[in-house]
Amino acid sequence: MPPDAPHDQPGGPTSAPDVPAGAVAVATRPHGIEVTGLRRAFGAVKALDGADLVARAGAVTALVGPNGSGKTTLLLVLAGLLVPDSGQVRVAGHDPVTDNAGARARTGWMPDAFGTWDSLTAREVLTTFADAYRVDRTTAAARIDELLATVHLSEYADQPAAVLSRGQKQRLGLARALVHDPQVLLLDEPASGLDPRSRVDLRLLLRRLADEGRTVLVSSHVLAELDEMADDAVFLSRGRTVAGLSENDAVSGRRTWHVRSLSVAALTDWLDTAGVAWRPDGAPRTLGTPAAPGNAGSAGGVLVDVAGEAGAAALLRDAVTAGVPVVSSAPAAGALEQAYLALEEERR
Amino acid sequence: MTATATTPAPASRAVGTWTLTWHGVRTVAALELRQRVRSSRWKAALIVWFVVVGAITLLASGALLFVGTSSASREASGAALFVVVTALVLGLGLLVTPTLASTAVNGDRSAGTLATLQVTLLSPAEIATGKLLAAWASACAFLVVSLPFFVIALLMGGVPVATLPRVILLTALLLAAVCGMGLGWSTLAARPAGSTVLTFVTVAGLTVFTPIFFGLTYPFLSTTQDVQVYGVPDSYWDEINELDEDEAQAALENEPVCELTTKERSVAHTEWTWWLLAINPFVVVADGAVPASAHAADSPGALAVDITSSVRALRLGSPDVLDECWSDDDSQAVLTTGSDAGPVWPFGLAVNLLLGAAGFIVAVRRLRLPQRTLPRGTRVA
Repeated sequence: MPPDAPHDQPGGPTSAPDVPAGAVAVATRPHGIEVTGLRRAFGAVKALDGADLVARAGAVTALVGPNGSGKTTLLLVLAGLLVPDSGQVRVAGHDPVTDNAGARARTGWMPDAFGTWDSLTAREVLTTFADAYRVDRTTAAARIDELLATVHLSEYADQPAAVLSRGQKQRLGLARALVHDPQVLLLDEPASGLDPRSRVDLRLLLRRLADEGRTVLVSSHVLAELDEMADDAVFLSRGRTVAGLSENDAVSGRRTWHVRSLSVAALTDWLDTAGVAWRPDGAPRTLGTPAAPGNAGSAGGVLVDVAGEAGAAALLRDAVTAGVPVVSSAPAAGALEQAYLALEEERR
Repeated sequence: MTATATTPAPASRAVGTWTLTWHGVRTVAALELRQRVRSSRWKAALIVWFVVVGAITLLASGALLFVGTSSASREASGAALFVVVTALVLGLGLLVTPTLASTAVNGDRSAGTLATLQVTLLSPAEIATGKLLAAWASACAFLVVSLPFFVIALLMGGVPVATLPRVILLTALLLAAVCGMGLGWSTLAARPAGSTVLTFVTVAGLTVFTPIFFGLTYPFLSTTQDVQVYGVPDSYWDEINELDEDEAQAALENEPVCELTTKERSVAHTEWTWWLLAINPFVVVADGAVPASAHAADSPGALAVDITSSVRALRLGSPDVLDECWSDDDSQAVLTTGSDAGPVWPFGLAVNLLLGAAGFIVAVRRLRLPQRTLPRGTRVA
């Protein structure tokens, strides 16, 4: 994650020095997504109950929440398919309710579950969508070849979509969402069904799209995956935005770190003298002895809560200086996962 | 993909609900037809159709040729065969067509391909028109496959050549109307099975239920009232009864003179229900098929004309003067109202096309974005 993008507030200053197209993201921010007080009910079920969200242009924003928290409904409203009961929505500067076509023209949407026209080839599917988006025929042909290469489907370009595997269909769906060069990309669970290699490719692709100045909103509940690609995060719970997380929070927020040492005893002794609170990590010892931190000579690790990456660096430096044989020091879990679990605790 | 973050240029073009461009319609129609052409089910359906229509046509022509060998009866059997083929193609067409259009929208929705198409810059009218055109083109493919059998019937004689294009055109228009109805139902019903059944019920309502309702309402429309009757006066029979056998025989040689009298008769007010028959697709084709020039001619094709002219007469209800005169004289002078009420097919065709148009408009309205309500038990994507 680029460590220098500040948390974005509506109307607040925006700077993204690492983004080449950063000049686009001026104070008015015409290409991002802004949602305020969004409500939408299906009968008695309140799918969205006052959700707020800001997704910057030039950044990947993660939309995190448990099943049924309203992620898909929010994306449907943003894609211009559903009318919200109340609330304001701006997608790339257009209101999907009043200027539906204008917003649609600038939005690429990949639903969580979608079908493909099985009898059409991958290339025909993309050509149809290029036509539907009124992309010029000559530019469309070149772009489709490029997109097929991007999602590694070139060798399947002229095969019927029926022979594609689930992950390949998912990649075709991603190419489909990109066929009209959209300003805003809405991806609902894009990584489901993808193999590890494709996940890495997806991450790199989304990073590149964001670096080109686009707005990328990705929903998922696989937090480790989002952690690797997202700049910002929005947490949704019961149709409400419960918290936002930017890299600022990830950098400066209090997180749990996992510190491993060749000698757990040396580590815990030092932590006790330094006055740092710790707790056992519960991992099995390499020597087969039970998890007893007092066991001198055994290798192992403990969990330590530190404030920000600076705090982690200071802790590591002090420990090494004090002669503790530290093997590694790393976040115990992804920033998103920790934030998410913290929220779950708050809710209970 | 370009490295710039500019939005595509065509985005500035306004896309409304009723925006209709050939580009958009062609995109949707090509997509639909391409899928259909590539499915083996579709090819099988065309082959089965060809075999069934062909077998029945050849069997019917064989049977008709066996019955009569003279040139006059040959003409009559040619006309009969043409009627058989027309009724067969229309009947089977009305059976097949509902399945072509009635799953166009909700089928795509359950397959998860509708929403991704809706969010593109295609207008609802373009999606609906494209789907309608594709369904209609498929229905017309069945008509084209049946053409050889129409030609065989035509070659047997007895039917004016101009009848063929009229039959094809009327059938094609009626099938287009059915496609429109199916499209409308496919946006109203949540599940493909439901919309198919509803489309079949609509078609059945037009073809089967209309004559049934006409028949069932007939008794209620009949009243006994005094009407003017042009016929042989009662006195004629009274006189004959009074005469002895030889004299009666001689008297019967003389043609009686018909007169206008007022008598009690049962009269059916079919002018209230004639439309039930007129909207029937079979009546539309039968009435509209024979060119006007052939109506007067005493050709074997008049067989079909007789059927529809009775429907035309029903439109007038009971005539002002009942013609009961069996003797051959110039009754036309007294029966002032013309017996021909004019063709009913324009009315029937218009009703069918209006129902189809209503289905199409419903479909366009239901395809609009963003949606306020969702069909029960469905997801948007």
